[in-house]
Order: sequence, then structure tokens, then C-alpha cells
Amino acid sequence: MIPASIARTAARRADEPRRARRFPARAQNWGLSGGVERGGNRFVARARRLAAESLAALALAACAAAAPPADADDPTAFTAEERARILSLGPWPPPFAPDPSNRASGRPEAVALGARLFFDARLSPDGRIACVSCHQPDRGWSDGRPRARGRTDLPRNTMAVVNLQRQRWYGWGGGADSLWMASLRPLLDAREFAADAAVVARLYDRDADLACRYALSFGQAADAADPQRVLVNTAKALAAFQETLTTGRTAFDAFRDALARGDAAAAARYPAAARRGLRLFVGRGNCVACHNGPTLSNGEFADVGVPYFVAPGVVDPGRHADLQQLRASRYNRLGPYDDDAGAGATATRHARLEPRHWGEFKVPGLRNVALTAPYFHNGSAASLRDVLRHYSELDESRIHASAQPLLRALRLSAAETDDLLAFLESLTAPVAPHPMPPGDADCAAPGAQRR
Amino acid sequence: MRRHRRASLAATALLTGATAFACEPPLRGAEVQRIEGLRHVIAWRAPHPLPLAEFFALDLAACARDGGALKPPRVDATMPEHGHGMNYRPRVTTLGAGRYRANGLLLHMPGRWRLAVAIGQGDRAETLSVPIVVE
Repeated sequence: MIPASIARTAARRADEPRRARRFPARAQNWGLSGGVERGGNRFVARARRLAAESLAALALAACAAAAPPADADDPTAFTAEERARILSLGPWPPPFAPDPSNRASGRPEAVALGARLFFDARLSPDGRIACVSCHQPDRGWSDGRPRARGRTDLPRNTMAVVNLQRQRWYGWGGGADSLWMASLRPLLDAREFAADAAVVARLYDRDADLACRYALSFGQAADAADPQRVLVNTAKALAAFQETLTTGRTAFDAFRDALARGDAAAAARYPAAARRGLRLFVGRGNCVACHNGPTLSNGEFADVGVPYFVAPGVVDPGRHADLQQLRASRYNRLGPYDDDAGAGATATRHARLEPRHWGEFKVPGLRNVALTAPYFHNGSAASLRDVLRHYSELDESRIHASAQPLLRALRLSAAETDDLLAFLESLTAPVAPHPMPPGDADCAAPGAQRR
Repeated sequence: MRRHRRASLAATALLTGATAFACEPPLRGAEVQRIEGLRHVIAWRAPHPLPLAEFFALDLAACARDGGALKPPRVDATMPEHGHGMNYRPRVTTLGAGRYRANGLLLHMPGRWRLAVAIGQGDRAETLSVPIVVE
């Protein structure tokens, strides 16, 4: 369950008329309890589970090689290659792995602070914008708009803030190499929060509860620290909260695990249409070329033929521009604020900038994709059916010369489109935060806020 | 097999006009693979199976058939069918005694890739490559 004080704070703020209009979601929609999954035993258990699954998959693969699937009604009737690709889309959920670049990562005190900050519009100078303005829990932690709206209209669609832990890149162009850098960017962007270090410092000056939680999280009072460091730590607390937002187990996960176990009876509970859609996804559609791994994203970038003009004569260069901005930023993982001293900054250190990155955008994860319309980096597809129509009728000439020629118009039949939709919708589950111990107790105690 | 390799080396030396030195890259083991070039031999070892969309490192060893000194090789990988390479540039560090380690490889799509190792300088330079598959 969510700590009571977070719920009270969120509810109080949501009751304010202006905020009630802008923040329709309630913090009560998620909970924070239990224990951080960090123990070695968990990794051993995971390794054993993977080994068992691999053995089962090998056994199934051997059967498949001996007798190619012919029975369309058999829920486990996939080729060895299809089966391997399906199994690679799990298991789910992943174990929690703290972000070494963020010393607040996985710390319950910081999660509790970040949860409060996420809903707090005082992070913007005029109290108009909070993180939740665009990342609304009841809209899949996105905003339902084609393109984000801060103080002004923005050129890109709002990405959902779920399943974000330990990604290489954040944002449509990968302009951030850590979740805390991605959380800092909108705070400083004049089109969004338009905040600065002074605005953030003032928040702690005026709110003893937040100041107490900051001190608990970072071991130093905010008013005794360098304002720039307080700004970055605020982003790190926001990141600590967001990395707890993990989508739950889905109907697909139950099927995938049944397949791994060779449990045909359990696999049969997965709808036939979703199974057919899954076969297209890993087979003829080759969606799995980019949408692979447990989040159904390879974490990289692609040009899928979506126009990158954001206005007449104005283009969004995507990855090509954002990687350059990332490199120039002092907030990247090679900079002074990385708590890992750059040791884990492999992606940032090795990232390659090439002309083909022009017009490439991040391959989004597909878990809970049915909840986050509209789609694509510019929000140009209103529905998942529109996305499938795009890939079905793809204008191959639109993709620039060095882009992946693996993209071909899929020419999906109406039935195939319905099947793929059934599969994509089967990836839906409520957000189930990673369990964290409660982080409230200390600041709730009488006198604690004077610390 | 070893006799055949010696004969092959002698023939190569004859063809290239190089003096045939014993060229045996100092990397051995069950998972080690070799690429035989006209002027160089590369031995390499990667995680098995190759990870998809995750970073991995490559252990390398190299020698020149003419016994000459070598600078660190350059390592890259491409996906010829799709006309693109990796989104990352590997960096090679020298471990000494003909051994190297390439960090920062990430193969972001399943399918057939081609691992390329460029070695040697000037007219002694050559690029040795080998197909690899990521599931």
C-alpha cells in the first residue's frame, strides 16, 4: 500500500480546484510496500528459473524440430524459432536493479520523496505544472494527447513513465542516458517547468516535510547543500520514484511462461486471436526485430517511416540531434553528477553518431501500449489500428536510403490486423510498483521535520 | 589438421612473399574461434550465445604471419542484409603479448551480423571478417 502521508498529500493537493483540473489522477492508484528485491538469493532463483525454462524450451524445440507444428488448435504449436523468440520476451517482471548512477535509486526514503515531488506543481515557478500534468496514472502514465503540452505545445508525444529502470536511453531521441537526467531536462526546459536551482531550493525552504525527506534521502539538509546539487538530487528522487512503476504480469506473460514449462493446458487459456497475432509478431511481421526483450524494445532507435516534419519547414532530427545534446550536457553519465563516476556509462562512452540517425526515434516498449494512445514520436497515429495500418501500407520510399530495408509493407489482412491487436492488447496490466519498504515513518514523527 | 595448417601457412607465405613465422595467436580454449587472413591470424572469443541488445566484450589475440609488430586492431560489426552497423563504436584495449579486449559491442537486432577485425598498417593492413548470428 502507498504510505499514508503520500496519499494524504496527493489527496490534499488534488482537492485544490486548479490542481484538480490538471491532475485528475490520484496517488492512491499505486502502492509501496514490502521489501527491495536485491538479495543474491533472488538472482540465484532467477538463474535457476531461466535454466529450467531453457531446458523446457530445448525439449519443446526438439519436439518442434522433429515434428513441425501443424495443429492450429494446439496452443503450443510454434516452430522452434518462433518459440525461442517468444520466450525471449520474458520473463516478467524483471528483478529490481538499482541504478548505480543514482545513489537514491532503490532507497525507500528517496522513493517517498520522489512520489511527493512527482505530484507537486511547486516545482514550476508559477505552480502550473507538475510531472503528473503529462504523466497521468489513469492514462497509462502518459497524457492521451498527440503531442505534449507544457507552457507551450511541444513537438513530441509524451512517453509513458513505466518500466524505466536501467534503460540505456530515455526520451524519443535518447537525449538522456539516465532516468534522473531525463527527469531533470523538463524541469529546466523553458517550454515545460521553466524551473531552475533557485525554484527547487525554495520548495524545500517552504516545506518542512519535503526538507526532512530530502535530508533523509541524501544525508544532508537541502539548505546546506549547493543549489545545483539540490536540483540534481531532486531529479534523482523523481527517478527513484519512477523506476518503481512497473507494469504487472499480463495474459501474454502467463502464456509465455506456460510455453516455457510446456504446459499446454495453461497455454490454452491465452486467446487464439492473441496467439495468432503473436505468431505474426515474431514471424512474418518481424516486429520482434526491434521490439525484443522483456520490455518489447531493443532500447535503440529506428526510422519507421513516420514524417519528422513538425511544422512546415521545421524538422525533428530525432536521435541525431539528441545524441549531440546529450554529449554536450554536464548532466550526462560522464559528467560530475554521476554517482558511479562514469563506470557504468558504457552506452554514453561508445555511442556513435552517424547520418543514418537523422530521423530515428526510440523503439518504444510495448507493455501497456493499449493504454497510451496516440502513438509514434509525433502522436500521428490515433490508435493501435492506425499504427498497424502504417506498417501494413508502409511507404517504403519514405524511409531514407540508409535505414533498415527490413521494413516492408506488411499488407495485413483485416483478420491479421485484428489478431495483432489482440496480441498487443494482451500486453496490458495495471502498474505494479516494485515493493519498497515504507519511507515515511521518520518524517511523520513529531519533531522530525526540524532535523 | 595441424599439419594441414602448417602447409597452408607455408603456401600463404610463398604467395605473399613473406617469411613464414609461427603465427599462433595466444588465445586458446573451446570457445575460441580463428580467422585466417593472408597476413594475420586472429583468435577471438565472445559470450555464447551472443546477447541480443546488450553490451558484451570480445577477447582477441592476433599475430602477423611475417612476425611484425602489431598495433591494436579495430573491431566493428555490421548487418549486411539491412545495410547498417552497430549504434556503438567498440574500443580496443591492449592487454599485452598479442592479447586485446574490445568493449562496447551491442548487436541490437536478431539475425545475421558480420564481425570485422581490421589489423595491420599500410600495405600490410587487412580486414578479417566472419559471420555471426544473434538469436
